Amino acid sequence: MATQIVMDHTGDTRHYFDANNAKALMQAEERFKELTLVGFTAAVRTASGEPTVIRTFDPTAEETLFFPRLVGG
Amino acid sequence: MFEQLLRVATDRFRRLLTDREGGAQSLREWLRNGDDPETRGVRLLREWLSPEQRAQYDAHRYFDVTGCDSGKRYRIHHGASMNIQEIDGTGRPRVGWCFVPNTYLVAGDVMLAQKIALETDELGALDVAKKFVPKETQLNMFMHL
Repeated sequence: MATQIVMDHTGDTRHYFDANNAKALMQAEERFKELTLVGFTAAVRTASGEPTVIRTFDPTAEETLFFPRLVGG
Repeated sequence: MFEQLLRVATDRFRRLLTDREGGAQSLREWLRNGDDPETRGVRLLREWLSPEQRAQYDAHRYFDVTGCDSGKRYRIHHGASMNIQEIDGTGRPRVGWCFVPNTYLVAGDVMLAQKIALETDELGALDVAKKFVPKETQLNMFMHL
């Protein structure tokens, strides 16, 4: 199961989907577009564990993390 | 009389514990697995930290990251604002940086967003960040007066 983790006030909300299911994959891509469109940053981890920011949906990503836009505090 | 009262009370307490065993077990599991936002945030953070950062965070409640553009070192303290210090080679704070998500998030999430930002887009993060003088630096300045 692939996961999209969206940070929110509850800690995070997780969306699990079967990457082999075309419909589920399409929904995941739609979620990716919606979140990044409103300013969320999407990040995945490389094989060595380092974070990388992605700008387009990666259908092979096991785990994608979304965090809101950053602003000066 | 007192012994009898104590015996009755002990018996009732034992029965209460037995009746509530399910509840007590849930409480123990909740304490262990914690599902409140703060705990979940820290759990997610720990999952994304490198082994070195995780060990440092567990020991000190802060961890160091290297800026991807400048190679500078930053120390992210447990917290949700004014919690980042640019540090020198000896770990002393040089300047504070403050940037946070534009919506309320728990501390673990904030720290994770800050870590990823500094490790993948340091200049972009510092571009929106506000500078501040860390407390330790203020104290050092005062001590040298």
